[in-house]
Amino acid sequence: MGVVEEAHNLKVLGSGDRVTVLAHGFGTDQSVWKHLVPHLVDDFRVVLFDNMGAGTTNPDYFDFNRYATLEGYAFDLLAILEELRVESCIFVGHSVSAMIGAIASISRPDLFSKIIMMSASPRYLNDVDYYGGFEQDDLDQLFEAIGANYKSWCSGFAPLLVGGDMESVAVQEFSRTLFNMRPDIALSVAQTIFQSDMRQILSLVTVPCHILQSVKDLAVPVVVSEYLHQNLSCESIVEVMTSDGHLPQLSSPDIVIPVLLKHIRFDISTV
Amino acid sequence: MRAGLSTIHQTLTPEAATVLSHSIAEASRRNHGQTTPLHVAAMLLQSPTGFLRQACIKSHPNSSHPLQCRALELCFSVALERLPTVQNVSNGSLGLGLDPPISNALMAALKRAQAHQRRGCPEQQQQPLLAVKVELEQLIISILDDPSVSRVMREASFSSPAVKSTIEHSLNATSTSNSTNTNGPIKFGFRPVVDTDHSSVATHSANRNLYLNPRLQQGAASQSGQQRSEDVKRVIDILTRNKKRNPILVGEPEPELVVKEILKRIESKEIDGILRNVEVVRLDKEFASDKTQMVAKIKELGTQVGAKIGNLDCEGVILDLGDLKWLVESDQSVGLRGGAQQQPPPALEAGGAVVVEMGKLLRRFGEESGRLRLIGTATCETYLRCQVYHPSMENDWDLQAVPITVTASLPGILPRFGNNGIHNRSIESISPMKGLLSKNLGSSQKQGPCPQCSQNYEQELEKLLATKDSESESTQPALLQWLQNAKVHVKTLDQTQNKKQEMILDQKIRQLQKKWKDTCFNLHPNFHRLGLGSDRLGPASLSITSLYNTSLVGCQPKSPLNGNSGEALQPGSPVRTDLVLGRPKTPEIIHKGRLRDLSGCVPSEPQKKLHDLQSDKPLKASDADSFKKLLKGLTEKVWWQQDAASAVAATVTRCKLENGKRRGAGSKGDIWLLFSGPDRIGKKKMVLALSDQVYGSHPVVICLGSRQDDTDRESDVSFRGKTVMDRIAEAVRRDPFSIVMLEDVDEADILVRGGIKRAMENGRLIDSYGREISLGNAIFILTASWLPDNLKSLSNGSISMELDDKKLASLASGGWQLRLSLSEKTYKRRASWLHGGENRATKPKKETGSLLSFDLNEAANVEDEKADGSRSHNLPNRLVSGSGELLDSVDDAVVFKPVDFNPIRRDIANNITKRFSSIIDERVSIEILDEALEKIMSGVWIGRSGLEEWMEKALVPSLQQLKTRLPASCESLVVRLELDDESCKPSHGDWLPNSVKVVVDG
Repeated sequence: MGVVEEAHNLKVLGSGDRVTVLAHGFGTDQSVWKHLVPHLVDDFRVVLFDNMGAGTTNPDYFDFNRYATLEGYAFDLLAILEELRVESCIFVGHSVSAMIGAIASISRPDLFSKIIMMSASPRYLNDVDYYGGFEQDDLDQLFEAIGANYKSWCSGFAPLLVGGDMESVAVQEFSRTLFNMRPDIALSVAQTIFQSDMRQILSLVTVPCHILQSVKDLAVPVVVSEYLHQNLSCESIVEVMTSDGHLPQLSSPDIVIPVLLKHIRFDISTV
Repeated sequence: MRAGLSTIHQTLTPEAATVLSHSIAEASRRNHGQTTPLHVAAMLLQSPTGFLRQACIKSHPNSSHPLQCRALELCFSVALERLPTVQNVSNGSLGLGLDPPISNALMAALKRAQAHQRRGCPEQQQQPLLAVKVELEQLIISILDDPSVSRVMREASFSSPAVKSTIEHSLNATSTSNSTNTNGPIKFGFRPVVDTDHSSVATHSANRNLYLNPRLQQGAASQSGQQRSEDVKRVIDILTRNKKRNPILVGEPEPELVVKEILKRIESKEIDGILRNVEVVRLDKEFASDKTQMVAKIKELGTQVGAKIGNLDCEGVILDLGDLKWLVESDQSVGLRGGAQQQPPPALEAGGAVVVEMGKLLRRFGEESGRLRLIGTATCETYLRCQVYHPSMENDWDLQAVPITVTASLPGILPRFGNNGIHNRSIESISPMKGLLSKNLGSSQKQGPCPQCSQNYEQELEKLLATKDSESESTQPALLQWLQNAKVHVKTLDQTQNKKQEMILDQKIRQLQKKWKDTCFNLHPNFHRLGLGSDRLGPASLSITSLYNTSLVGCQPKSPLNGNSGEALQPGSPVRTDLVLGRPKTPEIIHKGRLRDLSGCVPSEPQKKLHDLQSDKPLKASDADSFKKLLKGLTEKVWWQQDAASAVAATVTRCKLENGKRRGAGSKGDIWLLFSGPDRIGKKKMVLALSDQVYGSHPVVICLGSRQDDTDRESDVSFRGKTVMDRIAEAVRRDPFSIVMLEDVDEADILVRGGIKRAMENGRLIDSYGREISLGNAIFILTASWLPDNLKSLSNGSISMELDDKKLASLASGGWQLRLSLSEKTYKRRASWLHGGENRATKPKKETGSLLSFDLNEAANVEDEKADGSRSHNLPNRLVSGSGELLDSVDDAVVFKPVDFNPIRRDIANNITKRFSSIIDERVSIEILDEALEKIMSGVWIGRSGLEEWMEKALVPSLQQLKTRLPASCESLVVRLELDDESCKPSHGDWLPNSVKVVVDG
């Protein structure tokens, strides 16, 4: 086991000529793909990994400087692809990982045949002519809450983000993975993500992008998917799903999995 | 692609376009199918301006020697030679005319260059793509990004990121100092020196993953284990052969460790064969300190070795050369000053002399007797330099390079050109023995089985296809818990049966292939030329083991659960898997025995059990005592289930005893009992009593079925988001010494039942977080309403519990009150039944309807028949099968017979009457009204307090009160215990009234 495999809990499942890389977002780990993976293993090699900082990774490896920008994660992703000697992959990125994939694809477009962005946002803060859903005040409060009492923040944030009621399995699942993160790391990661502004890189992406979005998502307003579509320089396609919440692959798999599979299996020209 | 070429040319500056055309020409000259980034890089290195060459030199931390670049060129040309050539000789004339198309990787590089170029000049950002011309520098940078190029550079010990940053650095420097002139060619020679810190860091990581998190590298050094022992084996293999038997271990940082281990084993004579009596001689540390003395020292060494070999005991000498860098290391001062000089520095000349001298030494001792062997280590870089500076060394010293990989990556998962790593390639590209090494490593993964094994495989495949419909499906790779669950979920969603079967078949075929490949590997190693021990785990098995995430403790690969899960997969009904998963099959006999045991009748059971207990293992007095005590405790509380009570007591005592004995071997402490039968209250009370007796605590009751009428349930809130398994796990975690009652296991869903079954077998529970909880000493009671068939027929005269439960509950609830009232005897009669004459009970009188009567009994019988019929009709198969499954695993199954309420009713009436008579005069008779008796019974039945207790508490005070108020002549009086309709207090959760009102009128 190489150090990369071990550090990222790297798993390669299934068989097939094509490689699908599934990347999870903030507060989750690779288990967020549990509903999707079984559908892929027969046709694809599925690469699963945990982003550094996730509760399942070794906190000692979390370099606060390296991960102060999304580039650090992008390098991790490239390191993983290098390690596995992936020549080309279909990249499925959820939330922040969609942007991480986009960044990585700019420096190594050869490694990505397409990117499927789920619940992605290039910027969470509102701006002139841009609606990201959050004001700076909101974010400051958010960070303060994380810092003050991580546990209570988790239990409040999870249902909001997932968009289900407290006792739903998806909320429980998300709270679990969220609370698994070390609080200081979680704060740092949240700051990195919510303060990121990746709008300027969109025009550099050359790999086809499939943008999937819940119709109702606390973190990402639906208009953001349109913004991505307009501003990505590559081919792109938007599909707004009837699901609810930021983690629809966990909370409404019955809606989301077929859509995801469609976009993984077919390219833009044939979707 | 051809059409695109002119378009591509338009996007490049003339300079860059020239390089591209030259590269295409080069590819065409070499008869390659495609023009790749390698061609471009090679061309860039050769180009007269030499940007790339200069950048490479600049980027290299401690050597600016031009020879270094020669190595680079060599590596590139070897890499180019290895590219596949086009075979179409037939239309050669056409082929000559066609340029090889641009490969995808090169196309990507060109696009990258465009993107960078656009980013570089903000004012052009909005311009159409074609307006941006890619300059040579950008082309170089994006070519350096190409993985194939950076791999080749790594082989020559250059780091492409370092080179890239050198170029970028000078680009930035130019644009700041001379921002208007970005088009002018940049002379690297005049750029300020790059900060050395940065480039040295980059070089340090040259052999590693470029994007790697630096923190991870620190951990990488501690890698070891199996990989190393494999390396040791390979090296020893080399040492024992006749040719090329002097291994040089190439790589970093592992080789030293491997050599150390080998030498240790040789010195302690652990290795049999010709290496058994071999002495190890090490070059001392001062050896290379004075370069001019080295030759003399070698000669000295020669005599030393000669002396040792002359010794009779010694069969040979192994000379440990250590790190070969002393052979090629130039003194830092000399190297730095040496600048661009073409002659090798003096140190290298000395090295050359050493090579010659050592060669002589080897010929002297090695040639015939093979008694002198060398072993050494080198980094890739060092070895490469040895090749460049001392070209004859490899032959003269009879060396064999052994690549030692730094970190074992997942081999074979994503094979790329069958190349297992940088080092193989690097060795191969420079080794005269080109090919053998890396071919072995690479091809073993891809190569199929030999003809013989292929034939066997075909045969098995045929068999498989023939039996695919009839046979149950076999092994699928075991998945993570959550994947397993998801899989089941998915399969049930997916209604496409055919596709599923196809998939499974596919998997089987693949497995078959693998199996034969593996077999072939073992049987016919020669076919695979496995000499170097490159056998690694196949992709499939590796992915299985790698599935187990250490954080998901829940699944341990070794548990029988996972080992067996595959076998259990049924093609038609994947849902069944969960139940069938698990322990190696229980022998049929046990199953049958258990069934017979169970059905073989309850009455005889307890005695037999006790008998067994006593005869099989001589019981200690204390054990017998504890059994008796337990039995007494149980029968007190559940007096109507005597047989069940003694069965429970016997089993619990027996299990405790056995567990105590087995404890030494670290086995289970948990006990599993199945209470079956319709008597819910009886089962419940038994559990309560057992818990009280055994652990002196309250049991945890977890209801698996749909019943919500439990009074023991905790508030619903605490169950939120918890699965049943979670709740069980929590209960056990909270108190490992507790009794957990799992009610209505026959109504539980299949997942829960599977989970419980696995828990029984493994002695561990897995909750939904994948955590494993040891069951400790908990006693688990499963309850099911299932009744063996033969008991159903025996249960004549009993009341169907299904109905009665509800009836009783509704009777007992509602805050009813009792009163004792005094009235004239309406019937001159002494109720003889009060004194035990059951069969003399009178027929009910319509007008009073007050006496206990047997028409209830008749009614019950009718009802019973109905209920019985309907029950057996309703009883779905799953109940039987489900309980049957669990039946195999529980320590014992105890049947609770259906209850006949009539004796109980009589009992209660008798008890009350007795108590009445003892307090109040014998002459006064008591009349217990039907409704009242019914209510009392149900109250006693359901509630926690026993009849005696209630009478003491509620009835006796009232009776005493009544006594004081009784008129003197009470012969003709009858005291009636009846329902007090007037005062209907809301109930406080008690099933029996706290007091009995006394009404004495007149």
